Order: sequence, then structure tokens, then C-alpha cells
Amino acid sequence: MSAIDDLTGELARLPGIGRKTALRLTYHLLKQPPEQSRRLAEALRTLSDKVHPCARCANLTEEELCSICRDPRRDAAIICVVEESADIGAIERAGEYRGQYHVLGGRLSPLDGISPEDLAIPQLLNRVDSGGVREVILATNPSLEGEATALYVQRQLMSHGVTVTRIARGLPVGGDLEYADGVTIAQALSARRAM
Amino acid sequence: MALLATDAIVLHAFDYLESSRILRLVTREGGVRSVLAKGARRSSRRFGGGLDLFAQGTAHLYTKPGRDLDTLAGFDIARSRPALGEDLGRFTGASAVAELTLRFGGEAADGGLFDAVSNAFDAIAVASAGSASTATLASAWRVVAELGFAPATDICGECHAPIAPDATTMFSHAAGGTLCQRCGRTAPAGRLLPPDARHTLRQLLYGDDSLTLDEPSARAHQRLLREFLAEHLSDGRPLKALELWEDRRW
Ligand SMILES: [Zn+2]
Ligand SMILES: [Zn+2]
Repeated sequence: MSAIDDLTGELARLPGIGRKTALRLTYHLLKQPPEQSRRLAEALRTLSDKVHPCARCANLTEEELCSICRDPRRDAAIICVVEESADIGAIERAGEYRGQYHVLGGRLSPLDGISPEDLAIPQLLNRVDSGGVREVILATNPSLEGEATALYVQRQLMSHGVTVTRIARGLPVGGDLEYADGVTIAQALSARRAM
Repeated sequence: MALLATDAIVLHAFDYLESSRILRLVTREGGVRSVLAKGARRSSRRFGGGLDLFAQGTAHLYTKPGRDLDTLAGFDIARSRPALGEDLGRFTGASAVAELTLRFGGEAADGGLFDAVSNAFDAIAVASAGSASTATLASAWRVVAELGFAPATDICGECHAPIAPDATTMFSHAAGGTLCQRCGRTAPAGRLLPPDARHTLRQLLYGDDSLTLDEPSARAHQRLLREFLAEHLSDGRPLKALELWEDRRW
């Protein structure tokens, strides 16, 4: 395989990039000064070397613990459970929430072979059992899969002596948390309900 | 490009690119189809927030012969089925029926298949935690029947000789169901099916929605269904949802 095929093949695996675009990007890079390609390669290497899940909440970080878990002003007694790290960014942009997070790493999806065992649920139960947690807010997506996931997590938490709430349906059904505007997210958080 | 407006149910949905979603639908007039819902993650304007799993409504599709992916122009939702997400037995059961439909269904218009899937989701949605597996078994077998490969229960799948109601028979997945004594002797493989299990299979296939199987017989029938489907799969890819449904490790 040639170097051009190699890079084109790798680029084409990225979301939203087809074979044609991958080839165009490859030729674009060939026309640039070599330093630019080297900087890109270095940035990619640093990314995979440095970024990993937070040891406590699985948010992406370059440290042992993410910036939210390290922040003493954040309320460790409240944990907001989300499907993906990207959802944390969406909730943080709303600027209302002062607690911590827990990233499940997906949602229940039998058709994709994703079962409870594939989600970071035991880690959440451990956090709750280690004490000091008063409330767990379930902020999975407002879709059928997100609801099924929330209900499952709620049942797992039932005997662990913690208040479990679900974000309200201010969010559009079938929509995606990552794309909701800040006002909608803030409303959904403030109107959360007990489960 | 032709515009097709047809009854449709969402069987599978996954994110595509920045803000779109690819949906797999079973439709009344176009069979099983994959459609691109542009911008569905970002805005619920065009699709009315109705593009959730197991939702039913009228889909407006742009189709082009020879293309794998239609474009979804709109979806008028008639009903959503949130109850299917309220219990993992129901959720995995409905997913197993969806998977079976996706793997065996074709692109031809099939009103019978569409109605079987719609009835299946309605039945599973109202099933109690204890009866969700029976409702799923019945639904899955009825979808199999609509797809045209229901197992023989009362006549021999090989020679079509009638079978006595009280006979213990050989059930051959390859031969498409129950075999008479003579054909059963020469069958390469199969599973012995006592008369009550065969009666249950008939009930699952053709009626009696009041049926609720006890745990051991639900398990046995799940195994029978899984083996039967595996025999009819041509591509050897696993049926993930069916496995999770049968597994019940939650
Ligand atoms: Zn963290
Ligand atoms: Zn025979």
C-alpha cells in the first residue's frame, strides 16, 4: 500500500469523511509545507497519549482526575449521569449545574449489542457506596433508549440510599442532548423529578 | 426521485455525521428501508421530535432505484411507544422482533409484515414483566410466519403427512419444522418436541394471547426460536438483540 493510500484510508474512517474527501485532504496536505503535516501528526499523537477517561467520572481529561472532579467548588454530593463525555460540555454550557458527573459510555441498545454490562454502572454504584452522595440526576438522552437506560440505572440505585431524579422532558423527544440549547437544558435540569 | 408516503415504524436509529440520523424502517408500501433523516439530531422541526425507536406514523420518502439509502422528507407521528422502554424485558423483546424484521425483511410492499410488527410492539408494550417473554415469542413467530417460513406444526415439514396431536415428534430446523416418524428417522439433526411443546408453539404462532409460559418452557421456546432463526440466516452474523433478550442477565 502506498503512503497516499494509507493516509486516505485512515482519513476515510473518520465520521463524515468519504473516500473522495479523504483523497482531497491527502493531496491538500501534500501541497503544504512539511512542517504542517508534522504538527498535525504531533497533535494526533499527543491527543491519544495524553487524553484518557477521568478515574472518577470517566469524563475526558489529561490528568488523573478531570477539572470538574478536581474543582473544590463543585458539589460532590450530586452526581449527574450522562451517556457520553460530549453531554457534559452541553450541560456545562448552560452554566447552571454545580455538581459532579458520571459518564456511562453509551446507552442500552440491544440492536447494537449494548447491554448493561457495557456501561459504567458498577463504577457509579461504587461512587455512591463510598459515601457523601445525596442525589443522582439521570441525564441520559430523552429518547426511548435513554429512558430505558435511566430506568435501568434507577433500579440499580434503589437499594443504595440515594435520591434519584430524572431530568424533565423540556428536551425534545428523540432529540440529542449535545445539540440542545442552554436554556432548554437549564429548564430541564431545574424541573427534574424524583423517580 | 419518487416520493413515497407510507405507514412506517422505526426499527433502528443511529447517529450519522454531525447532526443527522440513519433510520431503518418497516413500511407498508416499501418493505424494510434505510432512510437518511438530515438534521434529525439538531432540530425536531421537520420530524416533529417523533423519530424515536418503535414510533409509528406516516413516512415521506424520496426513493431512487438502485440506491440503498432513501431520504426522509418528513415523518408524521401517529404514536410513540414509550412503554417499550419502561422494562428491560419489553425493551429487549421489542428489539429482538425489530432485529428479526430487519434481517429477514425485503424491500417489497408487505402489509402483512407491517401489521405483524405493529401488533407485536403493541402486545409487548402492554405485557407485564412476567409475560413479556411470552408476548415476544408469539410476536416473533408471527413475524416469521408473515415472512413466509413458519415452521410446520401439524403436518410433516418434509412429506406433508398429517401428524397425530399426541405424537412426540422430531423438530428439524433445516427441514422447516415438525417431521413425521418416517422422515424423523432419516433427519440428520433435530430436537425432540413433546406434544405439549408443539401445542404451545401452535398457540404462539396462531393465537391465544392469554398464554403466559412458565420460566422453564419460556426458556425452551426461546432456544427453539433462536436455533430456528440461526438455521435460516444466510450471512452468519449474530442476532445481537435476540441474544440479549434470551440472556436476561440484568
Ligand atoms: Zn471527573
Ligand atoms: Zn414426513
